Amino acid sequence: MWKVTLAGVRGHLVRLLLTCLAVTLGTAFVAGSFVLTDSLDRTFSAIFSTAESTDAVVRLPQDDDDEAAGPELPGLEIGLAEDIEGLDGVDRAVPQLTGSALLQGADGTAVRSGGAPSQGFAWDPDDPAVRLLDGRGVEAADEVVVEETTLERSGLAVGDETVVIVNGTPSDVTIVGEATNDLPTAGATVVFVEAALAREQFAPTGVVQSILVTGVEGSTQEEVVATVAPLVPDGAEVITGQQQADETQRTLQEALGFVTTFLLVFAGVALFVGAFIIFNTFTMLVAQRTRELALLRAVGASRGQVVRSVLAEAVLVGLAGAAAGLGLGVGLAAALQALVASLFGLQLDGLPVQPRTVVATFVVGVVVTAVAAVLPARRASATAPVAAMRDDQALPSTTVRTRAAAGLGLAAGGAAAMALVLTDRITENALPVLGTGVAAVFLGIAIASPAVSKPVVWLLTAPLARTAVGRLAQRNALRNPRRTAATASALMVGVALVGAVSVLSSSATASVADIVENELEGELVVSDGGPPTIPVGVADQVARVDGVAAVLALPFTPAELDGDDALAMTVDPGTLPDLVTLTALEGSLDELGEGVWLSESAAEEVGADVGDSVLVQVGTGESADREVLAVHEDSQIIGSDVLVSADVYAAGTADLQSRDGSGGVQYVVVDVADGSDVAEVRERVTDVAAQYLTLSVLDAGEFTGEQTAQINTVLGLLYALLGLSLVIATLGVVNTLALSVVERTREIGLLRAIGLTRPQLRRTMTIESVATTVFGALLGVTLGLAFGVALQQELVDDGLEVLSVPWPTVVVVLVGSAVVGVLAAVLPAWRATRIDVLRAITTD
Amino acid sequence: MSDTSSRTATVTGRHAADATPVASARALTKVYGSGDAAVHALAGVDVDFTRGEFTAIMGPSGSGKSTLMHCMAALDTPTSGTVVVDGVDVSTLKDAALTRLRRDRIGFVFQSFNLVPTLSAAENITLPLDIAGRKADVGWYDTVVDILGLGPRLGHRPNQLSGGQQQRVAAARALIGRPAIVFADEPTGNLDSRSSAEVLGFLRRSVDEFGQSIVMVTHEPSAAAYADRVVFCADGRLVDEMRRPTAERVLDRMKTLGDL
Repeated sequence: MWKVTLAGVRGHLVRLLLTCLAVTLGTAFVAGSFVLTDSLDRTFSAIFSTAESTDAVVRLPQDDDDEAAGPELPGLEIGLAEDIEGLDGVDRAVPQLTGSALLQGADGTAVRSGGAPSQGFAWDPDDPAVRLLDGRGVEAADEVVVEETTLERSGLAVGDETVVIVNGTPSDVTIVGEATNDLPTAGATVVFVEAALAREQFAPTGVVQSILVTGVEGSTQEEVVATVAPLVPDGAEVITGQQQADETQRTLQEALGFVTTFLLVFAGVALFVGAFIIFNTFTMLVAQRTRELALLRAVGASRGQVVRSVLAEAVLVGLAGAAAGLGLGVGLAAALQALVASLFGLQLDGLPVQPRTVVATFVVGVVVTAVAAVLPARRASATAPVAAMRDDQALPSTTVRTRAAAGLGLAAGGAAAMALVLTDRITENALPVLGTGVAAVFLGIAIASPAVSKPVVWLLTAPLARTAVGRLAQRNALRNPRRTAATASALMVGVALVGAVSVLSSSATASVADIVENELEGELVVSDGGPPTIPVGVADQVARVDGVAAVLALPFTPAELDGDDALAMTVDPGTLPDLVTLTALEGSLDELGEGVWLSESAAEEVGADVGDSVLVQVGTGESADREVLAVHEDSQIIGSDVLVSADVYAAGTADLQSRDGSGGVQYVVVDVADGSDVAEVRERVTDVAAQYLTLSVLDAGEFTGEQTAQINTVLGLLYALLGLSLVIATLGVVNTLALSVVERTREIGLLRAIGLTRPQLRRTMTIESVATTVFGALLGVTLGLAFGVALQQELVDDGLEVLSVPWPTVVVVLVGSAVVGVLAAVLPAWRATRIDVLRAITTD
Repeated sequence: MSDTSSRTATVTGRHAADATPVASARALTKVYGSGDAAVHALAGVDVDFTRGEFTAIMGPSGSGKSTLMHCMAALDTPTSGTVVVDGVDVSTLKDAALTRLRRDRIGFVFQSFNLVPTLSAAENITLPLDIAGRKADVGWYDTVVDILGLGPRLGHRPNQLSGGQQQRVAAARALIGRPAIVFADEPTGNLDSRSSAEVLGFLRRSVDEFGQSIVMVTHEPSAAAYADRVVFCADGRLVDEMRRPTAERVLDRMKTLGDL
């Protein structure tokens, strides 16, 4: 039977190649996601394995479970480092003086990429990890040393004068040296500043978050930890350098893990769509070869042998597709690395292809192909030799109805599973359950779709059916509802996902616009395109600008509310109404004083009403009973649980000034004084903001645009990836049409003989193709809108308040699907017109 | 375009033909392959098919009779020589013009697989006109359908029709556009004698009553007997012809054809 299999592959090479392509695209996602994950691993392992110079780290405890919890200690006194350095067995103990430091590049803008951090470190000439490459070390507050890759990206050179914004404070500096710590920076920028300046900016209250300890030659990390332990104050801890490295690496990997999950989801989508095509192709190939297979049966091949021969063919296709997929996957990973670099500023190096990647790619490719081919193979083996001669197997309508019922049942089950996850009734394994649910809905609809394909395709083509060409196309599209539906279903999946995503994005945009319109009262907003956050100092400077009546900066800090973790902010009740709309549900928003205002959800959480007293701790301040003066509606702009006066806030956060650039804010809302010209004030505010390099001044409309631009960037990525599933689906349409041409050779010959011109034949095929793709798009759009609306309803409480159905997108998708139909028909139609009329009608 | 409606449908009689041939070939050759392996399917054929006449082409297998018909019907391109159909020199035409010629001036009846399986009998009959974007002459359509007794079957799909019914639908389709000439390629090859008689009777009638020109390839003497004239092919040449054939005479002639 092996010979027969090989002959089968040869005989249908082009069609199998198209099927192969479907497998390739699917497995490329699998391979790509693994390669990308491995390159992430490798990049971070490189960073952390070389950080060996640190033997022990004294630090504040990190509580991964609730990051909002306030620390027990405001920080470690810098003096502690000196005490530790004095211990026997300790070589060095360095307080970690680090914070944000933006470098102005040669082009006048900040050197940074995506969301990668801009780090400033204290220059330490004795630090063995840092090597000076050029120039000299920092000797004064107006001098900096710049890390090698950072300097390269800045376009500056040693000796140049520029601006560095250290922890939000701009100052003119000269670059006196170039250094490296021999680590991949992964896109971060690194600037070394004078130690005294670093201490002033990064540790204004004299405390740091951690102290790095190096032992004397020959000591193990455990020994150093043991040596240091007695000096570690209550509320702090000491761990080995290795533990610290492992922890950081784990955190980063978790943070970036979504990229992998994301890719694997797309691999699933691509393979799912690909499976439709593989299934379709093998069904058709088998149908065409019914006679051949029946002959094999007649000459004594067992059913099992026939099944195995078809499956062997599928396995060959799977292997070939997966091999190509592996190659394409590496390319995909490279492209995604570039994308990650531009989105998150993270530079990954290398494209490692590990054995696991190869195995996973091939296993997935072969298994999916084989599974998709099992049913057609079984069907082939079941065909009685007599039935093989029959040409047109019409589907009994009872079968269509049974299938419709079964399909709708499956879809309902899938929808139920989705609903359980979305309503949080299933929380364990939520993602797999959700994915299975979605897949079940798609499969169910695909199984049921032949029942709807007839009326829908009939309606779609009805306007054209008055001409002979239209009628021929209509009949062809209706000819085999199961095939039309299966081909369309592949398209349905991608379109449905695009539809759902577009409803979410449109709703998100509308919701943001709604919030800005309803809640923003100030005329201008000072905003940073992304992290790092804006230093609070900017707000004070803007407040002093002529014509500015008030500003709202909204710094936030962790707090405790009756023992629960909460988020605290401060506002000025006097100016608040001019800046942001906050609606009181109970009590009044006239004053704060020593009391607090609670958001509706926070009030519900702790069960407090106006007039009640709640135990509040802001930042690291004292816990105190405070009166609830008002309960306000949850606000999207002010996302606090508890609002306190500026004094209370300042008291609670005084010790926290040095924490990770805390005190930074996302944006500053500006109220322009009555009678002042907004445009003029805007210019003056822009002058202030300009010194910070990354800040822009926006009006309400622009602010909405900026906020939604981030949503749109992520969605652009989603669309691009979903677009690939549409490409796969299009290949499926091409495949189906190409096979139809082969099946209908005699009919096409006859039509041409009695006078159908080549353009007419092309048109016939194009209409059939378009009817199929538009039918698939209609199914997909319907399903996608349903998914999208369901998700939006579920996310109403998470800020997606406004439902917006993007009708223009829907129209574009439908028109686009018609275009896809036209394109998909080009090649098969060309082949059809090249059919030799005489041979077609004279051969049996 | 060849508007055949000018030709009257009331021409009757076996020999009421025009003087000019409806189709003719001169020095027609068709060679497959080249060099030593060359096969001369047609080795220089001159033939005229008279307007309003029913001509049968006969000959043993491999005699070139089908090739001759395919070249005459613009389905195949000759290696050399000229073919003129209804005044049009076929050998100068490109695919699009050839397609239009077949659509507007030629009717076809093939041996099998004559009908588009997705179309009803009625739709199959009017297909050439529909493709051309023309309306069927209602009176003519009714006449054809009526003569062929297809009335009750018009809504049926081909797979619901018997072989004889399918060939009658094909015959109706060939005639619906009043083409200059109908080419029938073994139209009764797959039919029983009764169905054959129905189809051939209809072809005969269309010549007698409506002046239709018909060329039919066949290997059955009984079918050839329906024709006005029989031309005999052997080894790629026309070797003889017979007027007013009967089945016996044709059979006798066929027996000696191999001896030439």
